[in-house]
Amino acid sequence: MSLRYIIREGLTGITRSKMAFMISVFSVTSSLFLVGVGTLAVDNGLKVIENLQADYDLEVFLENDSDTADKRNIAELITSFPGVIRLDYLSKEDAARLYNAEFGEDVLSVLDDNPLPSSFRITFEDEHREGNYILSFIQNVESLDGVDEVIFKKDLFDRIQGLLQMIYIGAASALFLLILVTVFLTSNNLRLMILARYDLIETIRLLGATDFMVKAPFFLEGGVIGFIGGLSATLLIVLSEWLFQRFLHVTLPIRIMDYPELIIGILIFGISLASLGVLKAVRRMLRFVS
Amino acid sequence: MIRFDKATVRYDSGMSIRHVSFSIKEGEFVYLYGPSGSGKSSILKMIYMNLFPNSGDVEVFGLNSHGVKRREIARVRQRIGMIFQDPFLLLDRDIYSNIALPLELAGTPVKVIQQKVSRIADEFGLRSRLRDYPYELSGGEQQRVSLARAVINDPELLLADEPTAQLDTELSTEIINWFWKQNQAGKTVIFSTHKDKFIDREPARTLTLASGELVEDFTR
Repeated sequence: MSLRYIIREGLTGITRSKMAFMISVFSVTSSLFLVGVGTLAVDNGLKVIENLQADYDLEVFLENDSDTADKRNIAELITSFPGVIRLDYLSKEDAARLYNAEFGEDVLSVLDDNPLPSSFRITFEDEHREGNYILSFIQNVESLDGVDEVIFKKDLFDRIQGLLQMIYIGAASALFLLILVTVFLTSNNLRLMILARYDLIETIRLLGATDFMVKAPFFLEGGVIGFIGGLSATLLIVLSEWLFQRFLHVTLPIRIMDYPELIIGILIFGISLASLGVLKAVRRMLRFVS
Repeated sequence: MIRFDKATVRYDSGMSIRHVSFSIKEGEFVYLYGPSGSGKSSILKMIYMNLFPNSGDVEVFGLNSHGVKRREIARVRQRIGMIFQDPFLLLDRDIYSNIALPLELAGTPVKVIQQKVSRIADEFGLRSRLRDYPYELSGGEQQRVSLARAVINDPELLLADEPTAQLDTELSTEIINWFWKQNQAGKTVIFSTHKDKFIDREPARTLTLASGELVEDFTR
């Protein structure tokens, strides 16, 4: 086995058939660009919908006569529940300030005493932001001494959760289909590239090359095609984001450069797609070359 | 070295080779003689295991073609130098790379490859053409490249499938003489031809084929 031959053939194969190589890179780049844009569109869409949700999930209003010890007990109990990632205390004075900011009227100027209750605002982590869990949480918290009422905007919450779920399912199916189409189109293109090298495969096999020696350089060449395709697709996405911002004045919440997992994913997918696609095409051709 | 025992090949279009039996020993020079379509190429293909008998046996270097693995076929071919009517040169690489290909595949060190290609290029008068591409060469020069590539890794057996079919008499004589020289140097040669003038000029054992059958095995 000659490693030097494999590496040299894999790399010079590119320069020997520049047009076929460029068509293959273009095909891989287009496919990966579509997959990358699809993934980013889904993630950005989900992010926008998540942002529609309030900054907090629940507000626990306290009874007016509850004292500091009661409030501390309630806070400790609330934070002991799994999934609570944030708990903010709003005093009666904070509530009055918010009322003033929202309605432009000082509550103390209308009434002698501040009637607004103090409260806790609770935020759940994503894994626990689920209707049934939050309802059971409310039941537990409402029974605590010092708690007057728990406000949960269930309708909005349910609608957003339903929408998110629909988008997840729809986007996952669309991405899956997109990947299937991508794999199909790219492997067909690569097959054509290999078909153009039939003479080479037949000749080196007649000269005593083992199947491994025939396949290995093509596998390497496929890897190079995939890597360049992945890199080009990433750069094209960066360029598209810039054009979006420059001409449509839209700044996406999630951009590819903030998402290294996607860049690595595109590169790995590109390399695997192209090298395995080429390998499959060569294997198929070797069936006709004894 | 080579043994055919009632080898028979059937194509969809009809019978190609019928019950062919013969043996070839190491160091022999053998003509495969017969008109076009008599089965000469099929016999050669069976020797380099590009075609397999439907019945009977073909054994090359002790390896029976029945149940042979692809890896083993590659090993058999590494011991054979093949020359065809069409030189089968790779058009996208220069003459140096074409000649060096069998050595590259065998993992020979670069220095050795350079030395061997240089020596063989001198032998075939190709030194000045090493950086040229096959399509820049004449038919005769291309056939010389094909010969150089066939012997670069010093094979034990040379198979020639009508290598002079498209060449003029002078070049054909040059090539047949080269094969005889290789045989004198110890290589086994199987030379397929439909021209009996070669056999008349340089007599040797001749296997005569007609319609896929071995009709005569004689030495002049």
